[in-house]
Amino acid sequence: MGIDIRKIDEIIERYDKSEESLLAILQDFQHTFRYVPEEGMKRVSEVLGVPESKIYGVGTFYKALSLKPVGRHTCKVCTGTACHLKGAHTLTDIIGKELGVEPGGTTKDGRFTLQTVNCVGACALAPVVMVDDEDYYEGSSPQDVLKNLRKYK
Amino acid sequence: MEKITIKINGKDIEAVKDQSVLEVARENGFAIPALCFHPEIETRAGSCRVCLVEVSQNGRTRLVTSCNYPVRKGLEVRTDTDLVRRIRKGVVELLLSRTPDSPVIQKLARENGIEKSRFFVDEGEHYRNRCIACSLCTQVCEEVVGVSAISMLDRGRDKAPGTPYLKPSQVCIGCGACAYACPTDAISMIDEGEVRKIWGREFKMVTCSVCGKPYIPEAQVDWIVKTTGKDRSFFDKCPDHR
Ligand code: SF4
Ligand code: FES
Ligand code: FES
Repeated sequence: MGIDIRKIDEIIERYDKSEESLLAILQDFQHTFRYVPEEGMKRVSEVLGVPESKIYGVGTFYKALSLKPVGRHTCKVCTGTACHLKGAHTLTDIIGKELGVEPGGTTKDGRFTLQTVNCVGACALAPVVMVDDEDYYEGSSPQDVLKNLRKYK
Repeated sequence: MEKITIKINGKDIEAVKDQSVLEVARENGFAIPALCFHPEIETRAGSCRVCLVEVSQNGRTRLVTSCNYPVRKGLEVRTDTDLVRRIRKGVVELLLSRTPDSPVIQKLARENGIEKSRFFVDEGEHYRNRCIACSLCTQVCEEVVGVSAISMLDRGRDKAPGTPYLKPSQVCIGCGACAYACPTDAISMIDEGEVRKIWGREFKMVTCSVCGKPYIPEAQVDWIVKTTGKDRSFFDKCPDHR
């Protein structure tokens, strides 16, 4: 997959050339490319003078960073305790079937990535499904969720 | 260096202020098990928890990890109480469920009276099944060797050391310091004739001009020459024949 090295440099340029900028830069990569590309981590290592091993360690540590391209939309099903009790796993299965992916996977057309997450802090509304980190679908039946997901292109 | 006196299992012991309880105890013949302790590593992460002891000071008693607990005047240490034994047993049982394949942990478990872990046992082929995620290997690589070829990857149950992008590391010098430091022999290093295999790479070894034994990777010699200015010919002979 061709990643524009100039875009990578543009992002790195925005920050101080110190180790403290590392996470912010990786987050910007995630935002711009929808994942953290290897080329990007290599470049950050050169520019900040931080070993690649450290950068890769950080890249694998945070759930908010992905080392593989994620879809245009992310669908996060909460499987925290409350949501679990309210059938989050059945919900995950049903959504997975509809999208044709396992949790953690991305649809072939790149439209959706399905993820399970732990408690998003809205337990009273369980079960909770979150799309693109901004749209919440709470307490909904699987059918409603599926209907809502179809809105995302 | 301030000399102080502490008590270990009721005996008066001379120590230097701020030494670790573990080191003082061991120097004086008290056995304390320890996995993630390495004398060369300054950061004492205290991650394995098997070096637990009971300490009392100013009338307060608690359990601490002896490898990173500094000795102070009047400290009383007990290495073998019921509480220590009971808690350590729990710690070892958890380690055994993470690393069921490690002979080191299996032995420790037997010594602590554990036959089998009651918990979920992490089974599989992954080398992580011997790794207790203590980070000694990555610390040695960074702090002692100075190349930072590996780091701890992922988190939680999956945490284990690895190379960037899980590809053969470009900066690794094949020294094997990580494998030697690992308390549970989790890192595979295979020496076959003049080749050493580690972290997915093959390193050509330099052979001793006297005994003909392959004893150090070329890449490590390059690194030492580069960082210390030592003469390359120094490495013609192995340490036994210099
Ligand atoms: S491989 Fe060994 S030294 Fe490295 S983290 Fe695992 S147990 Fe510790
Ligand atoms: S468990 Fe799902 S929001 Fe808390
Ligand atoms: S040796 Fe002290 S916590 Fe591991």
